[in-house]
Amino acid sequence: MRRQWAGSGMRTALRRLSIYLFTAWATITANFILPRLMPGNPIEQLIGKLQGRVTPEMIAAIKAQFGQGLNEPMWVQYGHYWGQLFHGDLGISITLSAPVSQVLSSQMWWTIGLIGTAAVVSFIIGTALGVLFGWTRGSRADSIIPVATFLQSVPYYFLGTILIMLFAGTLHLFPIMGAYDSSLNPGWSWAYIASVLRYAELPLTSIVLSSLAGWMLGMRNMMVTTVSEDFVLMAVAKGLPRRRVMWHAARNAVLPSVANLALTIGLLVSGSLLVEQIFNYPGVGNLLVSAVGNEDYPLLQGIFLMITFTVLGANLLADILYYVLDPRTRTASVN
Amino acid sequence: MRSMRVPRSPKVLVGLCILGIFILLTLIGPWIAPYDPNDTSFVPNLRPSWQHLFGTTTLGQDVVSQLLVGCRVTMVVGFIAGSLATIISLVVGLTAGYIGGRTDEGLSLLSNVFLAIPGLPLLIVINSYLPAGEQANPLVVGLVIALTGWAWGARVLRAQTMSLRDRDFVEAARIIGESRWRIMLGEIGPNLLPIIAASFLFTILYSVGVYTTLAFLGLTNVSTWNWGTMLYWAQTNNAALANEWWWLAPPGIAIALVGTSLALINFGIDEFINPRLRAAGLTARQRRRVGMARRPRLGFTPVHRSEEIKKEASS
Amino acid sequence: MKEDPFVPVLDVTNLSVDYGYGDDAVRAVSSVSFSLGRSQVLGVAGESGSGKSTLVYGLTRLLRAPGVITSGEVTLHLAGERKGEAFNLLTASEDELRQVRWSQVSIVMQSALNALNPLRRVGKEFDEILRRHDRTSSKTSRQERAIELLSLVGLAADRLQRFPHELSGGQRQRVMIAMALALGPELVIMDEPTTALDVVTQREIVSELYELRQKLGFAMIFITHDLSLLVELADEIMVMYAGEIVERAPAVELYGAPRHPYTLGLMNSFPPLQGDRVHMTGIPGSPPNLKSPPGGCAFHPRCPSAHDRCRTQAPPLATIEDGHRSVACWLHDSSSTEAVPVSLSRRATSRIGQGA
Repeated sequence: MRRQWAGSGMRTALRRLSIYLFTAWATITANFILPRLMPGNPIEQLIGKLQGRVTPEMIAAIKAQFGQGLNEPMWVQYGHYWGQLFHGDLGISITLSAPVSQVLSSQMWWTIGLIGTAAVVSFIIGTALGVLFGWTRGSRADSIIPVATFLQSVPYYFLGTILIMLFAGTLHLFPIMGAYDSSLNPGWSWAYIASVLRYAELPLTSIVLSSLAGWMLGMRNMMVTTVSEDFVLMAVAKGLPRRRVMWHAARNAVLPSVANLALTIGLLVSGSLLVEQIFNYPGVGNLLVSAVGNEDYPLLQGIFLMITFTVLGANLLADILYYVLDPRTRTASVN
Repeated sequence: MRSMRVPRSPKVLVGLCILGIFILLTLIGPWIAPYDPNDTSFVPNLRPSWQHLFGTTTLGQDVVSQLLVGCRVTMVVGFIAGSLATIISLVVGLTAGYIGGRTDEGLSLLSNVFLAIPGLPLLIVINSYLPAGEQANPLVVGLVIALTGWAWGARVLRAQTMSLRDRDFVEAARIIGESRWRIMLGEIGPNLLPIIAASFLFTILYSVGVYTTLAFLGLTNVSTWNWGTMLYWAQTNNAALANEWWWLAPPGIAIALVGTSLALINFGIDEFINPRLRAAGLTARQRRRVGMARRPRLGFTPVHRSEEIKKEASS
Repeated sequence: MKEDPFVPVLDVTNLSVDYGYGDDAVRAVSSVSFSLGRSQVLGVAGESGSGKSTLVYGLTRLLRAPGVITSGEVTLHLAGERKGEAFNLLTASEDELRQVRWSQVSIVMQSALNALNPLRRVGKEFDEILRRHDRTSSKTSRQERAIELLSLVGLAADRLQRFPHELSGGQRQRVMIAMALALGPELVIMDEPTTALDVVTQREIVSELYELRQKLGFAMIFITHDLSLLVELADEIMVMYAGEIVERAPAVELYGAPRHPYTLGLMNSFPPLQGDRVHMTGIPGSPPNLKSPPGGCAFHPRCPSAHDRCRTQAPPLATIEDGHRSVACWLHDSSSTEAVPVSLSRRATSRIGQGA
């Protein structure tokens, strides 16, 4: 017999959802307002910024971006803006002279693939290690902690650079830049896929290595706290084998990490900017940095929107996961 | 108020030492730098030697001078941004947690929004909207970093304030009739100190990280020396491929060391806040001295008869 | 009183437990000895920090770090399949301990909310225990047994589907008790099982425990700081202070006529449910800092009857009155010249009848 879902969990879920919706709205609105905050006519402003390096296509793109009627009241422009968004029209990139949405959809899979895989792999390995180190707390294995702390503090781009230096530069074990062998044609051929995997190894390793330490330390802390709970002692008192007790503790300890996973997606997105810079890997990050450098505002805004929505989506997903995994959020407590 | 017993664990001491060294370098770095970091008159790509402790760059600049001079900007921006962010988070968190109601709803919403939006991209975007002159100013960058990094601390402080709000001593102050602000600052504030300290250190860590990352991406003024900029120049000159480790390693390791020291000190504060994390009992080395084989396992309380202990103590 | 011959279940001799090692060590339990027979109930009473929990967790080797057992012997006389075997709890290996745990000795912890896994339904916890005991059992038979156990404590079968936070405090504690009895152990240790509950539920559970004990015949160690709970339930009561036994006597006699000032103080800290209003006194001061205990008798700073000898010499636990009572107090020492206060003397009127 199922209980009603009248618990506090539902209320919290709705609250979280409304926060995300609000954030989404705020981001979109900010994207709208920011260029218009700059003094003067935005179009002229932008052209001025580009300092004469403007081609007719660019002017067309800018005009398309801001739509017609800059003399119309703000609200009307705002409405147009939303209308454009609902049509999937994010404007036209000034530098690439192509619709932003098109540019994004072609590039974003690289980022998602790399970051997604890296996130999952480092989460699994880091959490597993954290469980082990938390469980064996007090043993010689504790000396891993300063090492892990150091590793965690190593700036990501530094680690990536060092890896390149060691493996690609000196030892010539890994390819240096790009996502695949440029002599191959993209497609579902075995050679292409193999090449993609090969080129992804180094960037993937560097992301995993640098985020691993964070997961491990966090999980270890949680594990240590969980092991000090009474129910773990109960499990031992019941005469259960050690493995089983550790499993029980780990299951409970991993919950906050799941919540943290969502927050870390945000960090990994930031990290992707760096990966792509260092390894010359295609993706959204690379686009963002070059868009900033070239002051390609439509592209910039489009990317920012995309990143934000991805992160919000990931957060939402993690909240749902938490809801599913922890029964305390679902049904109301009696006391 | 609880007694503020500073845990004397080695981790914290190491962290403090390292941080101390870097603070020292922040103060005297530019003075003790052997050469002008911008000076390109040296032989490029030299390996470390007594004349150039960390060698030279592709442009013929002395690395160690860059490192020492860059220390100041890096640390100062990190410190300022961190302090600013902590102040904001303290004000927001304390107010939201104590006053509650609508104020809390609004402030929580604000911090949740800032938490949800990814930091680095936001930073990059805001930075790009700034006029070119301001972009170069490290202090402005620091401000922007603070504006995007306060949310985490605010959330933590809010939670803590809320749990303290209902405690007896606060209730007593309320009954006496102390004003809201006095209660917040005088009663609740001091009890939040460990958390504020941890949050402060963490935020500095974050700020240093973000600032150097921005510099690495070339988004700050590339002529101001900081560790991130050093790596930017190294990257654009393909130092990695040329195996010029003496150029790459120092700034990166410096950043890592500063981060590590802050994290270690934070460990100490963590253990202070959450006693369960404190090492209960002995470390492995101490145990071996006492004669106990393995670490005490859960559900297997060790039996160590006093006669044996006495015997060892006298031997 | 039972006329059965004394069949030992648990023998504890000179057990001492420290927290910490070497110079930092704090003695939490000092040379405690007692014996428990079949179906007997031993009540252990004292304030927080008196060492009562440390004692029972120590003797079952469940004490967490930095606890360490520094002396003594603990023997559990097994029943059931291994009847008659004398099991040395202090020298047993981990595997041997595992064999004995829950099937011979089980424990009910203080806070059921913390002792039950918040992510698991209650039924799963039962299933796990029962499966460990008999791997060949079928899921249905295990479930039936679980339902049976729940009915023993008066809970409906649907409680099995609940998560711990969905049950009330009293229900949770009853679940814990049912779980403790699942494998039919001969010794059940209860660590303040009712402290977190309201007074009425407390009394209910205590009387339920009494019935269960009558029915199933297990021995019990019941820890509490509320002496009044022990009067009807316990056969013998042991009062602990600062890690030592300060008084031990059959329950009725202790409650009716306490001999140690601390026992008297404890009793006066809890009002009886019925009967006349009693003037509450409590015990002034607070428990000693075990790192630097007071010289002489550990209780002397708070004792209204303390005299010079108490400050310098620690009284041993001595038997008095025909040998079935013992107390550690200079007042009752044969060489003492101090006058024993009326409330602590033989002539004190029994408190039984004032309700408990």
